[in-house]
Amino acid sequence: MSDEKIIQIRNLTKIYENGVEIRAIDNVDMDIETGEFLAIVGPSGSGKSTLLHQIALLDTPTSGTILLKGEDTTKMSDKQRSRMRNEELGFIFQYHHLLPDFNALENVMIPLLIKGIRRSEAKKVALQLLEEVGLIDRADHRTNQLSGGQNQRVAIARALVNRPSIVIGDEPTGNLDTKNSDSIYELLRHLNREHKQTFILVTHDLSMAAKTDRIITLVDGKIAEDSRNVSPT
Amino acid sequence: MSRRRQTIFSVLAIGLAVMILMTSQAIMVGFTQEFYAKTVDKMPHVTIEPKPDEDYIHLYRNVVENIKGIDGVVGVSPVLAGQATFDYKDFSKNVIMQGILVNDHDSVLHINEGITEGSFRDLEVTHNSVVLGDKLSDKLDVKIGDYVDASFPEANPATLKVVGIYNSGTPQDETLAFTSLSMAQDFFDEPNVVNSIMVRVDNPDNAGVISHKIDSMGYPASSWRETNPEIMQTITLESMSNDIILGLVIVIASFGIVSTLFMVVMEKSKEIGMLMAMGASRRSIQKIFILESGILGLIGAVVGVVAGIIISLSWGSYTFDTGGEAYAGVSTIPFIVRAQDAILIIIFTFLVNLIAGIYPARRASKLDPVEAISGE
Ligand SMILES: Nc1ncnc2c1ncn2[C@@H]1O[C@H](COP(=O)(O)OP(=O)(O)OP(=O)(O)O)[C@@H](O)[C@H]1O
Ligand SMILES: [Mg+2]
Repeated sequence: MSDEKIIQIRNLTKIYENGVEIRAIDNVDMDIETGEFLAIVGPSGSGKSTLLHQIALLDTPTSGTILLKGEDTTKMSDKQRSRMRNEELGFIFQYHHLLPDFNALENVMIPLLIKGIRRSEAKKVALQLLEEVGLIDRADHRTNQLSGGQNQRVAIARALVNRPSIVIGDEPTGNLDTKNSDSIYELLRHLNREHKQTFILVTHDLSMAAKTDRIITLVDGKIAEDSRNVSPT
Repeated sequence: MSRRRQTIFSVLAIGLAVMILMTSQAIMVGFTQEFYAKTVDKMPHVTIEPKPDEDYIHLYRNVVENIKGIDGVVGVSPVLAGQATFDYKDFSKNVIMQGILVNDHDSVLHINEGITEGSFRDLEVTHNSVVLGDKLSDKLDVKIGDYVDASFPEANPATLKVVGIYNSGTPQDETLAFTSLSMAQDFFDEPNVVNSIMVRVDNPDNAGVISHKIDSMGYPASSWRETNPEIMQTITLESMSNDIILGLVIVIASFGIVSTLFMVVMEKSKEIGMLMAMGASRRSIQKIFILESGILGLIGAVVGVVAGIIISLSWGSYTFDTGGEAYAGVSTIPFIVRAQDAILIIIFTFLVNLIAGIYPARRASKLDPVEAISGE
C-alpha cells in the first residue's frame, strides 16, 4: 500500500453556535493514506458525522485546514469544491437519498451528467456500475420498487460512478439487517481492493469496524484512539 | 401531483395573458393600419404650394409634367381652390370651391369612389356644373339637376348645375364643392393658374422622400405627415399605453411561476441539496431554476401566442356598430397578426420569466447540502 497521504487534516475545529457553543470537532489532526480502509467510531454526538461533512466538503470548518490530494480545500471556490465533490469524493449515507423521480439507472447517471459526460456514455458507465453492485436487472426500477438493501446498493453505485479517489460512508449499513449489512461491507471491501480507492466509514457496528485496516475513535470531537488493525479481513 | 397541476396552471396563466396581449396587439395593428389607410388614402400624399412670395402656381402644366416623371408618383392633380358663397332659394352657404381636372383628381384622391349620386365626369361635359358634398347639399336642400348661384367679392358670379353628390366620410363634406378647373379659373378670374398641386404616391411611407425631391426641384412641397402631424401621434400613444398595461399583466402572471418554483424549491430542497453533494455547483443550481422559469414562461408564451393567432385568424375582423358615422371611416377592424409582434411578445415573456426566476433560484442555491443528507 502506498504511504502517499491523500487526506491531511490540520487543527480542524468546527464550532456550532446557536445559543450555546458546541465544539463538534476540536482541533483534530489526522492523516489518511491512499487506499486505506478506515473506520471512525465513537459515541453518539462525538462529532463523527461532522468530521465526515468537513472532509466531504459539504460544510466548511470554523478553523483549520483539510488537504485533499495535497490541495488546500479551505481556500477553494464553490466551483472548485463542487468539482472536487463530483470527481474525487463519493458519499454513502445511512439513508440512500436517491431521487424518487428517477429510476436506478438515472440516479447512477447523475454524477456523470453533472461532470458533463454525454448521456449515451453516462448510461454505459452507469450500467457497468449497476452490474458491479449486482443490480443490472433493476436498472429501470424506482426507489419505491426496490428493497432497502437494493436502494443502498444503487446509492453505492452512484457514489462510485465517477471512480472517486475517496469514498465516505456515514453508517452506510446502519439501516440494514446483518445479512444485508455484511454483503454491503463485502462489496465495499472488494471495490477498495479492486480500484485502490480510499474508504472512510463511520459505523456503530464494532464487528464491522474490526474488519477494517484502521479504527479511529472520536470522543467529544477529539481523537481518543487511533489503532491499526493487524489482521483485517 | 398537485405541484404538477400548479405548474400547468401558472403556465396557462401566462398563456392567457400572452393570448390577450397577442389578440389585442393584432387588433391594434389592424386598427392602426385601417385608420392609416383610410385617413391617408383620403388626403393628398404630397401637396405643392405656390412659392412663398406668390399667390398662385404659374405654368402649372409644366410642373405637373415634371412631377409625373418622378419615380413612385402615381397621380398628379392641379387644383384651384377658393371661397365662394352658394345660394339656393332661401339658403346660403359659404363653401370651398375646388376646381379640378376630374381624371387627375381621381388618380390622386379616388373621388369617384365617394360619389353617391350623379357623376364627377359631368363636370367636364356640362358647362357651369358642380358636385357638392352630401352634407352641403342637405344644408342647401338641393338635389341633382337644381341650380345654385355662386358668388364672391371680386369673383365672376355664375349659376351652377348640380351634377353630383359626394361623400368622403370627412367633415369636408359640409364645405366642399367641386367644379371643373376651367370653371374655377373663370369664377376667380385667374386663367392659367392653380394654387395647389396634389400628388399621390404608390407608398405613402415614401411621401417624405418624394416631397423632398419635389422641393429640391424648386416647388415648395410638403408630405401628408408634415401637413397632418397629429395623425400618427394619437395612435402611437394609445397603442403604447395599451402595450404597457398588457406587459404588466404578463409580469403579474409570471409571479405564478415564481411561486410555483418556490414550492418546488421547498419540496425538493433535499433533492437539490443532494445534487449539490454530488457536485452540482451553487451557480449551476441557480442556472437550472432560472432556466426552468424561463422555459416555463416560454412555453406559456408560445401557447398564448398560438392561441392568440388562432383567435385572431378565426375571428378575422371585428365590426363595431358605429351608429351611422364611422370613426374616421373605420367601422371594421381586421385582426392583423405580424410575425414581429409574436416574436417580440415571446422574447419579452421569456426575459420577464428569466428575471422572475432569479429569486427562487437564489433561494435554491443557498440550500445546505448537509441538511439534505441529515435525516431520512
Ligand atoms: N447543525 C448543527 N447545529 C448545531 N449543532 C450541531 C449541528 N450538527 C451537529 N451538531 C452537534 O455537534 C455534535 C456532533 O454531532 P455529530 O452529528 O457530528 O455527531 P455523531 O458522532 O455523528 O453522532 P451520531 O452517532 O449520533 O450520528 C453534537 O453535539 C450535535 O448536537
Ligand atoms: Mg452521525
